[in-house]
Amino acid sequence: MSIEIPGPGGVGDVTEEIRGSILEAIPDAEVKVTPGGPGHFEIRVVAPIFTDKSRVKQQQLVYAAITHLMSGPNPPVHAVDRLDCSTP
Amino acid sequence: MSNEPTTDERIREMVSTNPVLLFMKGNRQAPQCGFSAQVIGILDSFIPDYETVDVLSDPEIRDGIKTFSSWPTIPQLYVDGEFIGGCDIITEMAGSGELFEALGVEPPPEIIPKIHLSDTAAEALAQAIEQTGTPGQFLKLSIDQSWQPNLSMAEKGAMDVMADAGGPEILVDRMSAQRADGITIDLVEGPQGRGFKVENPNAPRMGEMSVQTLKQMMDEKIPFELLDVRTPNEFETARIEGARLLDDEGYNQALALPKETRLVFICHHGPRGESAASQFMAQGFSDVHNLVGGIDAWSIEIDPSVPRY
Repeated sequence: MSIEIPGPGGVGDVTEEIRGSILEAIPDAEVKVTPGGPGHFEIRVVAPIFTDKSRVKQQQLVYAAITHLMSGPNPPVHAVDRLDCSTP
Repeated sequence: MSNEPTTDERIREMVSTNPVLLFMKGNRQAPQCGFSAQVIGILDSFIPDYETVDVLSDPEIRDGIKTFSSWPTIPQLYVDGEFIGGCDIITEMAGSGELFEALGVEPPPEIIPKIHLSDTAAEALAQAIEQTGTPGQFLKLSIDQSWQPNLSMAEKGAMDVMADAGGPEILVDRMSAQRADGITIDLVEGPQGRGFKVENPNAPRMGEMSVQTLKQMMDEKIPFELLDVRTPNEFETARIEGARLLDDEGYNQALALPKETRLVFICHHGPRGESAASQFMAQGFSDVHNLVGGIDAWSIEIDPSVPRY
């Protein structure tokens, strides 16, 4: 899949940054990040830590890991179109 | 990246002092984004009172709430200091009924509302369904806490019941079912063309109060709020003792009164009071009256010491 966004750093960099940030927070996770439109991403995370947690709590764990990529005046991640969290 | 302690503390204070708090774009009366509007629509149908914070008017909160909640989008709902979710999750919880428990409200009784359709309305509805509906979708009627009816096309959710409309299939959500029971839908010709007219016998009606009744209520010390919608100049010229001037400040104070408060609106002769009274009914007030003949009738029939002008 090749989609280009303007500005420094390609989609690949941001995709990797998202992946890396989530793995830093949840080391035993299986993470798949798929770019959509410019600044838009779909994220799939499988991790044991999600066991017995509500959907909101699961998603909060992931969002907390990537908040720095979504804040500020012109963040590399504008929107997460889809966030799937599940247990292995 | 962490918050300045002040922003974090401000948010913590907000969520701990307001039992139900929605961080949103705009406010309850005028949401500034579709997601916020959708959540307002849901909350309005579940509970009468809740507070909102407009993140557009406070950039510090707008950024801070994302870190505070570990949630990147607005709106965000907090109940008793706990983060409940954003638009998708709240919509899902409303559809499944989980939102009742989350908000701490009793689910309404399960009733099958009866809807009376005129022949012309039934025909027009059937046409509308044929033109706009996709398979699996039904015509859905909801009536919010301010008694505003809304018709849309929707799939049947766990909280929806099929109304008894004498043939046509009409969904009603469980929150609206009691308010929708016994309504009549007719097709009428108006200045803007044909439209549906919904007559609801359950909805409170605006009371027409005579100056004699007002005097009697004052004598018997029955509690009520007398709201004067005239200009400050007119208010200076002539007023009834105990009336509250409905300037911007008075308006906001009046809106914050409990919704069951008896409100009596007064103007010079009647029409301005009536229009203000309908506005307050649309905000969910149920015991609303307009003083027939206004302050002029009061001067003539009750108290000649109040100057006429």
